[in-house]
Order: sequence, then structure tokens, then C-alpha cells
Amino acid sequence: MEKRDYKGPIENSIEMAIEKIENLLKSDYYLSGRSIAILLLQEDEEIRNLVKEKDVANFDRIEDIIKDTKLHYANPISYELAIERQDEVKDILGRYVKFEKDRISPQEKLSRALMNPLFGIPALLLVLYLGLYKFVGQFGAETVVNFLESSIFDKYVTPFSTVLAARIIPWIALQDLFIGEYGIVTMAFRYAFAIILPITAVFFLFFSLLEDSGYLPRLAMLIDRTFKKIGLSGRAVIPMVLGFGCATMATMVTRILPTKRERIIATLLLALAVPCSAQLGVIMALLQHNPKALLVWAGVILFIFLLVGYLTSKILPGERPSFYMEIPPLRIPSLSNVMIKTYVRVKWYFLEIMPLFLWASVLIWIGRLTRVFDLLINLLKGPVSAIGLPPEASKAFLFGFFRRDYGAAGLYDLNAHNKLDGVQLAVACVALTLFLPCIAQFLMNIKERGWKTGLGISVFILVFSFSVAYALNIILRSLVVVL
Amino acid sequence: MSVKKIAIAGNPNVGKSVLFNALTKQYVAVSNYPGTTVEVSRGRMNLEGEEYEVIDTPGMYSLYSITEEERVARRILINERPDIVIHVLDAKNLERMLLLTLQLIEADLNVILVLNIMDEAVKEGISIDASGLEKELKIPVVETVATAGKGIDELKKKIGGYGKKRL
Repeated sequence: MEKRDYKGPIENSIEMAIEKIENLLKSDYYLSGRSIAILLLQEDEEIRNLVKEKDVANFDRIEDIIKDTKLHYANPISYELAIERQDEVKDILGRYVKFEKDRISPQEKLSRALMNPLFGIPALLLVLYLGLYKFVGQFGAETVVNFLESSIFDKYVTPFSTVLAARIIPWIALQDLFIGEYGIVTMAFRYAFAIILPITAVFFLFFSLLEDSGYLPRLAMLIDRTFKKIGLSGRAVIPMVLGFGCATMATMVTRILPTKRERIIATLLLALAVPCSAQLGVIMALLQHNPKALLVWAGVILFIFLLVGYLTSKILPGERPSFYMEIPPLRIPSLSNVMIKTYVRVKWYFLEIMPLFLWASVLIWIGRLTRVFDLLINLLKGPVSAIGLPPEASKAFLFGFFRRDYGAAGLYDLNAHNKLDGVQLAVACVALTLFLPCIAQFLMNIKERGWKTGLGISVFILVFSFSVAYALNIILRSLVVVL
Repeated sequence: MSVKKIAIAGNPNVGKSVLFNALTKQYVAVSNYPGTTVEVSRGRMNLEGEEYEVIDTPGMYSLYSITEEERVARRILINERPDIVIHVLDAKNLERMLLLTLQLIEADLNVILVLNIMDEAVKEGISIDASGLEKELKIPVVETVATAGKGIDELKKKIGGYGKKRL
């Protein structure tokens, strides 16, 4: 065998950096200098330490080259290299490997069908209908929640703690903190245990089943093309699906996206147009007897999701994402595996969320006691009236910020008292879905994206949600639509 | 003359260990790689009077390592300085496995590419021009079905050829 001269086609400035580093590597690493240089550019910690030890004299100069090269690329260098390499592999395969299209196993047929829009999109709709609407929405958010609320909390917990608090705590104002309309027991515990816990448990069960069946990567391939139009790749399917469970958690999961640009777009869309399971449950309950309003709501949210994604991807600089994913085989999920995953996730989520609930109760209590809330509610009455809702709804919007579902539940109360007609219901649900994320997600946005971007997203959403609701109200009213 | 070293590398679940067992009939030792919980098997092979030590490395997807297994596999390549690296891959999944082949070649290692599980690849209607690939990559390429012992003799021939020409 002759000496091989194989070198991949690699873009200029990375290629130049590789050569410069290669020349600075004086020790013997057994792997070629080129190979070590590439690993260094990919910031491989172990190789970095090895070189630091063996090539002490040139190490600082090497580090400078790496820092300098990174500045010239929007994406991580490992990502740039992976893309190049993938093209190279595809080119070789195209010339030396032939695939016959026949002889496909039934499993492979199903797998391909799921990734083909003709069959895949109806299949996706079926999964969403059965999984999210029937199982999470109706079974979790209604049957189980109703049982826990009316049979456990309303019958036992609330009356018992009301009596207890009245006896122990002499001051009415302090009693309110525990058993008032938004008290720790009456609101925080009730919401956490009777609403959030069952809904998230059912959601995570559904999610774990999807995950273990191998459906998610196929869904990622299916919607990759659509997602690319809104600046995301198929990879974003996981945070987006998770967003239907808890958008706060999903924002954290945007870390799996390779570029900053994709992470910003995903964070914005999660905050704006992806309703979380708690919210979804209450919205389903609000709209279930009004399918036309439900359709309007879903249509508007989907439209906003695609429109904002499309516009953001046009405005934000950066390359179109590309996407490559290993597709595991389709299989029947193992029940014990699914149960364990569900349990671990629910437990983790619950421990994260419970303190925030308590804080929300305390903040609302202080806000009400000091009358700051009355002031804010009055301020919100203007925009709320402008979108055609009764002024009482402004309370739902303010409390919605502390937990999005509090807001949705506030609307539920209004609806139960027959204060909203169909158009108002649709407009209110749209506004509330788009409106500022809950305080937990707001904090997560800032934590993950930084002050500027996190606040920017929130201000944008505040203005945007009311503008859309305003426009929707005018359109529906002027078309004399009755929902 | 010292014993030559052969490292078997590749993704997990491509038949590395089956191939390892097919090559080494004697002196197999399994131990944790120093400082890790990753197990590494070593064995001996005699080929036309020449002694080889064969090392079965943990599964790796890329030289750019993420998992502990991958780091151990790479450390073996760096520290054990194998004379020959056999890259085993699943012929059904060339697309995601050929990347590592390119990286190993780029690292200036003496690579033999083994296209394993050829029987299933053929069943799925995949045909590979092995000699074309050999010319393109400038390394020996062997098609095998390690579980049935097919292609092992040819692999041994290529190992022997490497031993004579290059080492």
C-alpha cells in the first residue's frame, strides 16, 4: 500500500487553522498532526490537556489560533466539520453503493410511511388527537382532575383547612394567605396536586410511550422541511412536543439545538405559541362544547406559530439549520421502562414547580394586600376591554403571569358564570395562549437566553398577544361570526 | 521481533467482538482499562509465523469523543500505538459509520475496512463496490459475515499483506 493522501474538502479558514496548528505540534501523538489539530479545534478536553502537557512551548499560540477561528463561524466548529464530513460520506456512497428499493421489511415500510407526508401527517394528527386531546386533555385534565378536585379537595381538604385556619390564625388577613381565594392551601396546593400533578403525569406517560416507540425521530424527519422554513430543524421536535407538557422545561431542553439562532427561535415560539399541558387542559375544558371556537383558536395559534417562526428566521442572521439524525428501530415500548421514566420525570418536575406555586400564592397575597394588584388589574382593563372582553378578565391575565393555567382557570370561572359568548371565548383563549409565559418560564428565558433576549421576548409577546387578539376580535365581529 | 498490535475499532453493535473471537483463538484476557470502568479484551493471533496482539476496543462513533467508552477507544489508539486498525462497520449503515473510517485514515493509521453483516445488507438490497471503495480510500476493504465466519480468511490475508508491505 502506498502512503495515503486522503484529505477531506474543508473550508478555507478552518483548513488554514488546521495547517497552522499542525505546524506548531512538535511531539509525537501517534495520530497525525492533522487529526490532533482537528480535535483541538473541536475543543476536545482530553486532547487539549494532552497537547498542553506535550507541547508546552506552543500551547498558547495554538489556543490563540483556535479562539480566532471560532470567531469566524456562527456555528460550533465541530458542527461545521460534521456537515462537511457528511457531504463527503454521501459523495462516496453515491459512487460505490447501490440501494435497491424493493425488499423492504414491513417494519421498514411503516417507518418510511411515518416519514412520508402523505401518510405521516394523518398519522401525526391521529397521534395528537388520541394522545393529546383524548388522553391528556379529556382523561387527564377532565376525568382525573374533576375527581381530585370535587371528590377530594372540595369535600375534605378545603373545608378541613378552612376550619383549622380559622381556629389557629386570629387575623383575617393572614388567614387569607392560607385559605383565601388564592391561598396556599386553596390555590397552591389545590392547583399543584389536583390539577398539575394528574395532567403532567398523564402527559409524561404519553411522552415516554412516544419516546420509547421510536416515533419521535421519525416525526423529526417528517416535519424537518416545514421546520426549516421557520428557522428550525427536525431536531427541535423534542423541545416543541415537550412544550405541550411544560414550556418551562422545554425551554431548558432547547440546549440540544446546535446553534444560538435555533435556540432563540425555539425559545420565542415556546413562550408565544405553544400551550403547556396545564393550560391546554383548561382551554380544552373551556372550548369543548364549542368546537367552532376550538377550531378558530387552534387555527390562529398554528398560523401565529408558523408566521412568527418564518419572520424570525428572516430577521435573525445565520445559516439555515441542517439536520442529521440516527433513526432507531420502531419497537413496542417496554411497560416497566415507560413507568419508571414517567415516575422520574413527574417527580423531578413536581419538585421544581411546587416552590414556584408557593411563591406565586405569597406574591399574589402581598399584591392584593398592598393593592398593587388592583392597580395592575385596572391598568390591564384598558387592553382587555379593547379586545372585547369584560373587564373582569383582566384579573385572569395578571394571575396568568404567575402560572399560565391560573389565568386559564380564571377564564373558566367567568365562562361558568356565562359571562362570555363564543367569540369572546375564542379571543380570550388566543390572547391567553399567546400572552406572557408564566413567571417560571420568564425566569427560564432569562436564565437560558440572557437578560436582553429574555426581556426582549417578553416585551414582544406582551404587545403581540394583545395585537393579535384585537385583530381577531375585529375580524370575527365584522364578519358577524357566531361561535 | 516484537509482537505487532492490531486494534479492532467501530460503532457499538457491529460485530467487533465476534470478529475478535474469530481472529484470536488463544490467550484472551479481559480487564478494565486503567482508571475506567470500561472493559477491554486482548488476545493473541498467529498468522504465517507472525505474532499479533489483538485489542477489542469499546464502541466509538467518532474520534471526537463524547462517552467514556469513546475516550477509552481513542486512548488505546494513542497509547497502544497499534500497527493496524481494523475498522468494523455494519454494511447496512455505511452512511453513518463511514465517517469514522475517514477520521482514522486522516489520523494516518493503517486502516483495514471491514464491511460486516454483509448478508443482511444483501437481503436489504444494498450492493457495495468494495474494490472501488478500496481504490477511493486507498486502504484494504473486506466484506465479511463474522457470525458465519465468512470473509475471515480474506481479512487475515490482508492483515498479512499489510504486515509485509508496510510495517
